[in-house]
Amino acid sequence: MPREDFIAVDHFSFFYGAKQALFDIHMDIPERQVTALIGPSGCGKSTLLRNMNRMNDLIDGVRHAGDIRLNGSSLYDPKIEVISLRKRVGMVFQKYNPFAKTIYENVVFSLRVAGRNGRRELDEVVERSLRSAALWEEVKDRLHESAFGLSGGQQQRLCIARAIANQPEILLMDEPCAALDPTATLKIESLIRDLKEQFTIVIVTHNMEQATRCSDRTAFLYMGRLIEYGSTRQIFETPRQEETEAYISGRFS
Amino acid sequence: MPQHTPHIIREFDQAMRGLADLVISMGAQARLNLARAMEALQQRDLDRCKVVIADDTEVDEAERAVDAAGMDILLRFHPVASDLRLVISSMKIAANLERISDHAVNIAKRARKMLAKPEVREVRLIEPVYLLADGQLQDALASYADRDSEKGRGLKERDQELDRMHKRVMAQLSQLLEEGGELSESYLHLLFVVRSLERVGDLAVNIGEDAVYLDRAEDIRHMKARQQDTDA
Repeated sequence: MPREDFIAVDHFSFFYGAKQALFDIHMDIPERQVTALIGPSGCGKSTLLRNMNRMNDLIDGVRHAGDIRLNGSSLYDPKIEVISLRKRVGMVFQKYNPFAKTIYENVVFSLRVAGRNGRRELDEVVERSLRSAALWEEVKDRLHESAFGLSGGQQQRLCIARAIANQPEILLMDEPCAALDPTATLKIESLIRDLKEQFTIVIVTHNMEQATRCSDRTAFLYMGRLIEYGSTRQIFETPRQEETEAYISGRFS
Repeated sequence: MPQHTPHIIREFDQAMRGLADLVISMGAQARLNLARAMEALQQRDLDRCKVVIADDTEVDEAERAVDAAGMDILLRFHPVASDLRLVISSMKIAANLERISDHAVNIAKRARKMLAKPEVREVRLIEPVYLLADGQLQDALASYADRDSEKGRGLKERDQELDRMHKRVMAQLSQLLEEGGELSESYLHLLFVVRSLERVGDLAVNIGEDAVYLDRAEDIRHMKARQQDTDA
Protein backbone atom coordinates (compact mmCIF):
# COMPACT_ATOMS: atom_id res chain seq x y z
CA MET A 1 0.00 0.00 0.00
CA PRO A 2 1.46 3.40 -0.93
CA ARG A 3 2.01 5.46 2.17
CA GLU A 4 -0.24 8.52 2.55
CA ASP A 5 2.34 10.41 4.61
CA PHE A 6 5.41 9.44 2.63
CA ILE A 7 6.63 13.00 3.11
CA ALA A 8 5.18 14.28 6.37
CA VAL A 9 5.59 18.02 6.80
CA ASP A 10 4.86 18.42 10.49
CA HIS A 11 4.11 21.95 11.73
CA PHE A 12 7.18 23.14 9.88
CA SER A 13 8.35 26.75 10.10
CA PHE A 14 11.45 28.15 8.50
CA PHE A 15 13.46 31.34 8.99
CA TYR A 16 16.07 33.13 6.92
CA GLY A 17 17.73 34.94 9.82
CA ALA A 18 15.03 37.15 11.36
CA LYS A 19 12.68 36.74 8.42
CA GLN A 20 10.17 33.94 8.73
CA ALA A 21 9.53 32.32 5.33
CA LEU A 22 7.28 29.41 6.31
CA PHE A 23 4.63 29.38 9.03
CA ASP A 24 3.55 26.12 10.64
CA ILE A 25 3.15 24.13 7.41
CA HIS A 26 1.42 20.83 8.05
CA MET A 27 0.73 18.42 5.21
CA ASP A 28 1.15 14.77 4.23
CA ILE A 29 2.45 14.07 0.74
CA PRO A 30 1.45 10.63 -0.53
CA GLU A 31 3.79 8.04 -1.99
CA ARG A 32 4.06 7.70 -5.77
CA GLN A 33 1.81 10.60 -6.54
CA VAL A 34 2.55 14.00 -7.98
CA THR A 35 2.00 16.91 -5.61
CA ALA A 36 2.11 20.45 -6.96
CA LEU A 37 3.05 23.46 -4.85
CA ILE A 38 1.50 26.63 -6.25
CA GLY A 39 1.33 30.23 -5.14
CA PRO A 40 2.57 33.70 -6.03
CA SER A 41 6.27 34.56 -6.06
CA GLY A 42 7.69 34.72 -2.57
CA CYS A 43 4.96 32.55 -1.05
CA GLY A 44 7.47 29.98 0.18
CA LYS A 45 6.84 27.10 -2.20
CA SER A 46 10.47 26.79 -3.34
CA THR A 47 11.66 27.23 0.24
CA LEU A 48 9.43 24.34 1.29
CA LEU A 49 10.63 22.21 -1.63
CA ARG A 50 14.26 22.91 -0.86
CA ASN A 51 13.72 21.94 2.74
CA MET A 52 12.66 18.48 1.61
CA ASN A 53 16.29 17.66 0.85
CA ARG A 54 17.81 20.23 3.23
CA MET A 55 19.25 22.32 0.45
CA ASN A 56 18.54 25.40 2.52
CA ASP A 57 21.16 24.22 5.02
CA LEU A 58 23.71 25.74 2.66
CA ILE A 59 22.44 29.24 3.50
CA ASP A 60 23.86 31.03 6.52
CA GLY A 61 21.58 31.98 9.36
CA VAL A 62 18.68 29.67 8.58
CA ARG A 63 16.75 27.81 11.21
CA HIS A 64 13.58 25.81 11.42
CA ALA A 65 10.92 24.60 13.81
CA GLY A 66 8.80 21.49 13.46
CA ASP A 67 9.88 18.54 11.35
CA ILE A 68 9.81 16.93 7.93
CA ARG A 69 9.81 13.13 7.82
CA LEU A 70 10.60 11.02 4.77
CA ASN A 71 8.99 7.61 4.96
CA GLY A 72 8.78 7.95 8.72
CA SER A 73 12.29 9.16 9.48
CA SER A 74 13.09 12.78 10.33
CA LEU A 75 15.21 14.78 7.93
CA TYR A 76 16.69 16.47 10.94
CA ASP A 77 17.62 13.30 12.81
CA PRO A 78 21.22 13.92 13.92
CA LYS A 79 22.11 10.44 12.66
CA ILE A 80 21.10 11.34 9.10
CA GLU A 81 23.90 12.43 6.80
CA VAL A 82 22.91 15.04 4.28
CA ILE A 83 24.81 13.18 1.54
CA SER A 84 22.81 10.01 2.09
CA LEU A 85 19.63 12.09 2.26
CA ARG A 86 20.32 13.56 -1.17
CA LYS A 87 20.60 10.02 -2.58
CA ARG A 88 17.03 9.46 -1.44
CA VAL A 89 15.83 12.75 -2.84
CA GLY A 90 16.64 13.76 -6.42
CA MET A 91 16.19 17.33 -7.58
CA VAL A 92 15.55 18.98 -10.93
CA PHE A 93 15.88 22.74 -11.33
CA GLN A 94 14.23 25.41 -13.41
CA LYS A 95 17.20 25.94 -15.70
CA TYR A 96 18.54 22.71 -17.12
CA ASN A 97 22.11 22.39 -15.95
CA PRO A 98 23.95 19.41 -17.46
CA PHE A 99 27.63 19.18 -16.68
CA ALA A 100 30.22 19.89 -19.39
CA LYS A 101 30.56 16.22 -19.97
CA THR A 102 29.16 13.56 -22.27
CA ILE A 103 25.57 12.42 -22.00
CA TYR A 104 26.81 9.16 -20.50
CA GLU A 105 28.99 10.84 -17.89
CA ASN A 106 26.20 13.20 -16.89
CA VAL A 107 23.96 10.28 -16.01
CA VAL A 108 26.57 8.31 -14.08
CA PHE A 109 28.13 11.33 -12.36
CA SER A 110 26.73 10.62 -8.90
CA LEU A 111 27.68 6.95 -9.14
CA ARG A 112 31.26 7.81 -10.03
CA VAL A 113 31.40 10.26 -7.08
CA ALA A 114 30.30 7.35 -4.90
CA GLY A 115 33.15 5.27 -6.32
CA ARG A 116 30.94 3.01 -8.41
CA ASN A 117 32.85 2.60 -11.65
CA GLY A 118 31.93 -0.89 -12.86
CA ARG A 119 31.31 -0.63 -16.58
CA ARG A 120 28.43 -3.06 -16.63
CA GLU A 121 26.61 -1.37 -13.76
CA LEU A 122 27.13 2.07 -15.24
CA ASP A 123 25.89 0.93 -18.67
CA GLU A 124 22.78 -0.50 -17.05
CA VAL A 125 22.15 2.66 -15.05
CA VAL A 126 22.56 4.84 -18.14
CA GLU A 127 20.09 2.83 -20.19
CA ARG A 128 17.56 2.48 -17.38
CA SER A 129 17.73 6.16 -16.41
CA LEU A 130 17.55 7.45 -19.96
CA ARG A 131 14.65 5.11 -20.74
CA SER A 132 12.82 6.32 -17.62
CA ALA A 133 13.47 9.90 -18.73
CA ALA A 134 12.08 9.08 -22.20
CA LEU A 135 15.41 10.04 -23.78
CA TRP A 136 17.05 6.71 -24.59
CA GLU A 137 15.76 6.35 -28.15
CA GLU A 138 16.89 9.89 -29.00
CA VAL A 139 20.45 9.63 -27.65
CA LYS A 140 21.41 5.95 -27.57
CA ASP A 141 23.71 6.37 -30.58
CA ARG A 142 25.51 9.41 -29.22
CA LEU A 143 25.97 8.68 -25.55
CA HIS A 144 29.58 9.80 -25.65
CA GLU A 145 28.88 13.15 -27.24
CA SER A 146 28.62 16.40 -25.28
CA ALA A 147 25.38 16.98 -23.40
CA PHE A 148 25.41 20.54 -24.71
CA GLY A 149 24.57 19.23 -28.18
CA LEU A 150 21.07 18.35 -26.98
CA SER A 151 18.03 20.61 -27.29
CA GLY A 152 16.77 22.43 -24.19
CA GLY A 153 14.01 19.90 -23.61
CA GLN A 154 16.44 17.01 -24.06
CA GLN A 155 18.92 18.64 -21.66
CA GLN A 156 16.18 18.91 -19.03
CA ARG A 157 15.25 15.25 -19.55
CA LEU A 158 18.95 14.41 -19.20
CA CYS A 159 18.93 16.26 -15.88
CA ILE A 160 15.93 14.16 -14.85
CA ALA A 161 17.83 11.01 -15.91
CA ARG A 162 20.77 12.20 -13.79
CA ALA A 163 18.48 12.89 -10.84
CA ILE A 164 16.96 9.40 -10.95
CA ALA A 165 20.20 7.48 -11.73
CA ASN A 166 20.64 6.71 -8.04
CA GLN A 167 17.04 5.52 -7.85
CA PRO A 168 15.89 8.05 -5.26
CA GLU A 169 12.57 7.64 -3.49
CA ILE A 170 11.56 11.23 -4.09
CA LEU A 171 11.96 13.59 -7.01
CA LEU A 172 11.73 17.32 -6.34
CA MET A 173 11.16 19.58 -9.32
CA ASP A 174 11.46 23.36 -9.08
CA GLU A 175 9.65 24.84 -12.09
CA PRO A 176 11.17 22.20 -14.38
CA CYS A 177 9.55 23.57 -17.53
CA ALA A 178 10.02 27.30 -16.95
CA ALA A 179 12.80 27.53 -19.55
CA LEU A 180 11.24 25.20 -22.13
CA ASP A 181 9.05 25.69 -25.20
CA PRO A 182 5.48 24.30 -25.20
CA THR A 183 6.34 21.03 -26.96
CA ALA A 184 9.28 20.29 -24.66
CA THR A 185 7.06 21.25 -21.72
CA LEU A 186 4.39 18.73 -22.71
CA LYS A 187 7.04 16.01 -23.04
CA ILE A 188 8.30 16.72 -19.52
CA GLU A 189 4.73 16.78 -18.19
CA SER A 190 4.04 13.42 -19.82
CA LEU A 191 7.27 12.13 -18.33
CA ILE A 192 6.24 13.33 -14.87
CA ARG A 193 3.03 11.30 -15.15
CA ASP A 194 5.09 8.21 -16.08
CA LEU A 195 7.71 8.75 -13.38
CA LYS A 196 5.17 8.74 -10.57
CA GLU A 197 4.92 4.97 -11.01
CA GLN A 198 8.43 4.83 -9.50
CA PHE A 199 8.89 8.02 -7.52
CA THR A 200 7.07 10.38 -5.19
CA ILE A 201 7.17 13.69 -7.01
CA VAL A 202 6.80 17.21 -5.65
CA ILE A 203 6.74 19.97 -8.25
CA VAL A 204 6.77 23.72 -7.85
CA THR A 205 5.03 25.46 -10.72
CA HIS A 206 3.69 28.87 -11.65
CA ASN A 207 1.72 27.31 -14.46
CA MET A 208 -1.82 26.50 -13.31
CA GLU A 209 -2.57 24.38 -16.36
CA GLN A 210 0.57 22.39 -15.69
CA ALA A 211 -0.55 21.74 -12.13
CA THR A 212 -3.93 20.52 -13.38
CA ARG A 213 -2.37 18.32 -16.07
CA CYS A 214 0.43 16.76 -14.01
CA SER A 215 -0.48 16.59 -10.38
CA ASP A 216 -2.73 14.45 -8.23
CA ARG A 217 -2.68 16.87 -5.32
CA THR A 218 -2.17 20.59 -5.11
CA ALA A 219 -1.10 22.79 -2.23
CA PHE A 220 -1.64 26.54 -2.39
CA LEU A 221 0.77 28.64 -0.34
CA TYR A 222 0.48 32.35 0.30
CA MET A 223 2.83 34.51 2.35
CA GLY A 224 4.51 31.46 3.83
CA ARG A 225 1.31 29.78 4.90
CA LEU A 226 -0.41 26.71 3.56
CA ILE A 227 -3.82 28.07 2.62
CA GLU A 228 -5.36 24.96 1.08
CA TYR A 229 -4.29 21.44 0.20
CA GLY A 230 -6.38 18.82 -1.55
CA SER A 231 -6.87 16.79 -4.68
CA THR A 232 -5.99 18.80 -7.75
CA ARG A 233 -9.53 18.33 -9.04
CA GLN A 234 -11.00 19.74 -5.84
CA ILE A 235 -8.61 22.68 -5.71
CA PHE A 236 -9.30 23.72 -9.29
CA GLU A 237 -13.02 22.91 -9.38
CA THR A 238 -14.22 23.76 -5.88
CA PRO A 239 -11.57 25.55 -3.84
CA ARG A 240 -12.72 26.01 -0.27
CA GLN A 241 -10.69 29.11 0.52
CA GLU A 242 -11.37 32.45 -1.12
CA GLU A 243 -7.64 33.16 -1.45
CA THR A 244 -7.19 29.93 -3.40
CA GLU A 245 -10.02 30.73 -5.79
CA ALA A 246 -8.77 34.29 -6.22
CA TYR A 247 -5.26 33.07 -7.06
CA ILE A 248 -6.08 30.19 -9.41
CA SER A 249 -8.70 32.20 -11.30
CA GLY A 250 -6.43 35.21 -11.79
CA ARG A 251 -8.12 37.59 -9.38
CA PHE A 252 -5.10 38.16 -7.18
CA SER A 253 -3.95 41.74 -6.97
CA MET B 1 -16.96 36.42 -2.61
CA PRO B 2 -14.24 35.76 -5.20
CA GLN B 3 -16.61 36.04 -8.19
CA HIS B 4 -17.22 39.68 -7.21
CA THR B 5 -13.50 40.42 -7.23
CA PRO B 6 -12.42 41.44 -10.71
CA HIS B 7 -9.94 39.36 -12.69
CA ILE B 8 -6.52 40.82 -13.33
CA ILE B 9 -7.32 40.49 -17.04
CA ARG B 10 -10.21 42.88 -17.66
CA GLU B 11 -11.25 41.15 -20.88
CA PHE B 12 -11.85 37.98 -18.86
CA ASP B 13 -14.47 39.78 -16.76
CA GLN B 14 -16.06 41.27 -19.85
CA ALA B 15 -16.21 37.87 -21.55
CA MET B 16 -17.77 36.24 -18.48
CA ARG B 17 -20.36 39.00 -18.13
CA GLY B 18 -21.09 38.74 -21.84
CA LEU B 19 -21.66 34.99 -21.56
CA ALA B 20 -24.05 35.30 -18.61
CA ASP B 21 -25.94 38.12 -20.37
CA LEU B 22 -26.35 35.95 -23.47
CA VAL B 23 -27.88 33.13 -21.42
CA ILE B 24 -30.21 35.47 -19.54
CA SER B 25 -31.48 37.11 -22.74
CA MET B 26 -31.81 33.70 -24.38
CA GLY B 27 -33.89 32.59 -21.40
CA ALA B 28 -36.11 35.67 -21.75
CA GLN B 29 -36.60 34.91 -25.47
CA ALA B 30 -37.46 31.25 -24.78
CA ARG B 31 -39.99 32.33 -22.13
CA LEU B 32 -41.48 34.88 -24.51
CA ASN B 33 -41.81 32.23 -27.24
CA LEU B 34 -43.61 29.97 -24.81
CA ALA B 35 -45.97 32.77 -23.71
CA ARG B 36 -46.74 33.70 -27.33
CA ALA B 37 -47.37 30.06 -28.23
CA MET B 38 -49.89 29.87 -25.40
CA GLU B 39 -51.55 33.10 -26.54
CA ALA B 40 -51.71 31.73 -30.08
CA LEU B 41 -53.39 28.59 -28.74
CA GLN B 42 -55.86 30.39 -26.52
CA GLN B 43 -56.72 33.19 -28.95
CA ARG B 44 -56.59 31.06 -32.13
CA ASP B 45 -54.15 33.54 -33.61
CA LEU B 46 -52.45 32.30 -36.78
CA ASP B 47 -50.06 35.25 -37.03
CA ARG B 48 -48.80 34.64 -33.53
CA CYS B 49 -48.24 30.96 -34.38
CA LYS B 50 -46.05 32.06 -37.27
CA VAL B 51 -44.11 34.51 -35.08
CA VAL B 52 -43.29 31.79 -32.54
CA ILE B 53 -42.10 29.43 -35.27
CA ALA B 54 -39.98 32.17 -36.87
CA ASP B 55 -38.54 33.41 -33.57
CA ASP B 56 -37.23 29.96 -32.75
CA THR B 57 -34.31 30.65 -35.07
CA GLU B 58 -33.29 33.48 -32.72
CA VAL B 59 -33.07 31.02 -29.84
CA ASP B 60 -31.11 28.60 -32.03
CA GLU B 61 -28.71 31.41 -32.88
CA ALA B 62 -28.45 32.35 -29.22
CA GLU B 63 -27.48 28.77 -28.36
CA ARG B 64 -24.71 28.89 -30.95
CA ALA B 65 -23.58 32.27 -29.59
CA VAL B 66 -23.43 30.92 -26.01
CA ASP B 67 -21.39 27.93 -27.17
CA ALA B 68 -19.03 30.15 -29.15
CA ALA B 69 -18.59 32.55 -26.21
CA GLY B 70 -18.00 29.62 -23.85
CA MET B 71 -15.43 28.06 -26.18
CA ASP B 72 -13.72 31.42 -26.56
CA ILE B 73 -13.40 31.78 -22.78
CA LEU B 74 -12.12 28.21 -22.43
CA LEU B 75 -9.49 28.80 -25.09
CA ARG B 76 -8.37 32.28 -24.10
CA PHE B 77 -8.60 32.34 -20.34
CA HIS B 78 -8.46 28.70 -19.14
CA PRO B 79 -11.07 29.30 -16.44
CA VAL B 80 -11.06 27.29 -13.22
CA ALA B 81 -13.26 26.97 -10.14
CA SER B 82 -16.42 29.14 -10.22
CA ASP B 83 -15.37 30.63 -13.58
CA LEU B 84 -15.18 27.17 -15.13
CA ARG B 85 -18.51 26.25 -13.57
CA LEU B 86 -20.11 29.35 -15.06
CA VAL B 87 -18.92 28.41 -18.55
CA ILE B 88 -20.05 24.79 -18.23
CA SER B 89 -23.43 25.59 -16.67
CA SER B 90 -24.09 28.39 -19.20
CA MET B 91 -23.51 26.05 -22.14
CA LYS B 92 -25.71 23.35 -20.62
CA ILE B 93 -28.48 25.82 -19.74
CA ALA B 94 -28.41 27.17 -23.31
CA ALA B 95 -29.04 23.64 -24.62
CA ASN B 96 -32.03 23.30 -22.26
CA LEU B 97 -33.41 26.69 -23.32
CA GLU B 98 -33.15 25.72 -26.96
CA ARG B 99 -35.26 22.65 -26.24
CA ILE B 100 -37.78 24.76 -24.32
CA SER B 101 -38.13 27.00 -27.36
CA ASP B 102 -38.62 23.88 -29.50
CA HIS B 103 -41.53 22.97 -27.25
CA ALA B 104 -42.97 26.47 -27.78
CA VAL B 105 -42.76 25.79 -31.51
CA ASN B 106 -44.48 22.42 -31.03
CA ILE B 107 -47.31 24.16 -29.18
CA ALA B 108 -47.59 26.84 -31.89
CA LYS B 109 -47.76 24.15 -34.60
CA ARG B 110 -50.45 22.28 -32.69
CA ALA B 111 -52.34 25.59 -32.26
CA ARG B 112 -52.08 26.20 -36.01
CA LYS B 113 -53.50 22.77 -36.81
CA MET B 114 -56.36 23.35 -34.38
CA LEU B 115 -57.40 26.44 -36.35
CA ALA B 116 -58.80 24.15 -39.03
CA LYS B 117 -61.18 22.66 -36.47
CA PRO B 118 -63.93 24.16 -34.33
CA GLU B 119 -62.90 25.85 -31.11
CA VAL B 120 -62.71 23.57 -28.05
CA ARG B 121 -63.57 24.77 -24.56
CA GLU B 122 -61.01 22.41 -23.03
CA VAL B 123 -58.17 24.74 -24.03
CA ARG B 124 -58.81 26.32 -20.63
CA LEU B 125 -57.49 23.12 -19.01
CA ILE B 126 -54.06 24.01 -20.35
CA GLU B 127 -53.72 27.42 -18.69
CA PRO B 128 -52.88 26.22 -15.13
CA VAL B 129 -50.37 23.74 -16.52
CA TYR B 130 -48.70 26.55 -18.44
CA LEU B 131 -48.64 28.85 -15.40
CA LEU B 132 -46.89 26.21 -13.32
CA ALA B 133 -44.37 25.37 -16.06
CA ASP B 134 -43.64 29.04 -16.74
CA GLY B 135 -43.28 29.77 -13.02
CA GLN B 136 -40.69 27.01 -12.81
CA LEU B 137 -38.86 28.33 -15.84
CA GLN B 138 -38.82 31.84 -14.38
CA ASP B 139 -37.36 30.61 -11.11
CA ALA B 140 -34.86 28.39 -12.91
CA LEU B 141 -33.56 31.40 -14.80
CA ALA B 142 -33.47 33.46 -11.60
CA SER B 143 -31.52 30.70 -9.83
CA TYR B 144 -28.88 30.96 -12.57
CA ALA B 145 -28.80 34.76 -12.76
CA ASP B 146 -28.67 35.20 -8.96
CA ARG B 147 -26.56 32.09 -8.27
CA ASP B 148 -29.35 31.02 -5.93
CA SER B 149 -28.77 27.33 -5.28
CA GLU B 150 -31.71 27.05 -2.87
CA LYS B 151 -34.12 28.22 -5.54
CA GLY B 152 -32.53 25.86 -8.06
CA ARG B 153 -32.67 22.94 -5.64
CA GLY B 154 -36.37 23.53 -4.91
CA LEU B 155 -37.44 23.11 -8.53
CA LYS B 156 -37.28 19.31 -8.43
CA GLU B 157 -39.89 19.12 -5.70
CA ARG B 158 -42.06 21.75 -7.32
CA ASP B 159 -41.97 19.77 -10.55
CA GLN B 160 -43.93 17.00 -8.85
CA GLU B 161 -46.92 19.33 -8.65
CA LEU B 162 -46.63 19.96 -12.37
CA ASP B 163 -46.35 16.22 -13.01
CA ARG B 164 -49.53 15.59 -11.01
CA MET B 165 -51.40 18.31 -12.86
CA HIS B 166 -50.09 16.98 -16.17
CA LYS B 167 -51.41 13.50 -15.38
CA ARG B 168 -54.77 14.88 -14.32
CA VAL B 169 -55.26 16.93 -17.49
CA MET B 170 -53.95 14.08 -19.66
CA ALA B 171 -56.57 11.80 -18.08
CA GLN B 172 -59.35 14.31 -18.77
CA LEU B 173 -58.27 14.79 -22.38
CA SER B 174 -57.79 11.05 -22.93
CA GLN B 175 -61.33 10.43 -21.76
CA LEU B 176 -62.68 13.03 -24.16
CA LEU B 177 -60.61 11.47 -26.93
CA GLU B 178 -62.05 8.02 -26.21
CA GLU B 179 -65.56 9.43 -26.43
CA GLY B 180 -64.79 10.30 -30.06
CA GLY B 181 -66.56 12.95 -32.11
CA GLU B 182 -65.44 15.74 -34.40
CA LEU B 183 -63.27 17.35 -31.70
CA SER B 184 -61.14 14.25 -31.18
CA GLU B 185 -58.30 15.56 -33.29
CA SER B 186 -58.18 18.80 -31.28
CA TYR B 187 -58.08 16.84 -28.02
CA LEU B 188 -55.15 14.89 -29.41
CA HIS B 189 -53.35 18.17 -30.16
CA LEU B 190 -54.02 19.38 -26.63
CA LEU B 191 -52.55 16.16 -25.25
CA PHE B 192 -49.30 16.99 -27.04
CA VAL B 193 -49.45 20.59 -25.78
CA VAL B 194 -49.76 19.39 -22.18
CA ARG B 195 -46.95 16.96 -22.78
CA SER B 196 -44.74 19.82 -24.05
CA LEU B 197 -45.49 21.92 -20.98
CA GLU B 198 -44.63 19.02 -18.72
CA ARG B 199 -41.29 18.72 -20.56
CA VAL B 200 -40.69 22.45 -20.06
CA GLY B 201 -40.99 21.78 -16.33
CA ASP B 202 -38.42 18.97 -16.59
CA LEU B 203 -36.04 21.21 -18.51
CA ALA B 204 -36.48 23.95 -15.89
CA VAL B 205 -35.46 21.37 -13.28
CA ASN B 206 -32.33 20.68 -15.35
CA ILE B 207 -31.54 24.41 -15.36
CA GLY B 208 -32.02 24.54 -11.60
CA GLU B 209 -29.59 21.63 -11.20
CA ASP B 210 -27.03 23.48 -13.28
CA ALA B 211 -27.56 26.59 -11.13
CA VAL B 212 -26.83 24.50 -8.01
CA TYR B 213 -23.64 23.26 -9.67
CA LEU B 214 -22.72 26.82 -10.55
CA ASP B 215 -23.31 28.16 -7.06
CA ARG B 216 -22.23 25.25 -4.86
CA ALA B 217 -20.29 22.89 -7.16
CA GLU B 218 -22.75 20.15 -6.19
CA ASP B 219 -24.00 17.64 -8.72
CA ILE B 220 -27.60 16.95 -7.66
CA ARG B 221 -28.66 15.25 -10.90
CA HIS B 222 -30.26 11.80 -10.64
CA MET B 223 -30.09 11.92 -6.86
CA LYS B 224 -33.03 9.52 -6.45
CA ALA B 225 -31.46 6.90 -8.70
CA ARG B 226 -28.12 7.31 -6.97
CA GLN B 227 -29.75 7.01 -3.55
CA GLN B 228 -31.50 3.80 -4.65
CA ASP B 229 -28.15 2.40 -5.87
CA THR B 230 -26.62 3.20 -2.48
CA ASP B 231 -29.51 1.59 -0.60
CA ALA B 232 -29.46 -1.57 -2.76
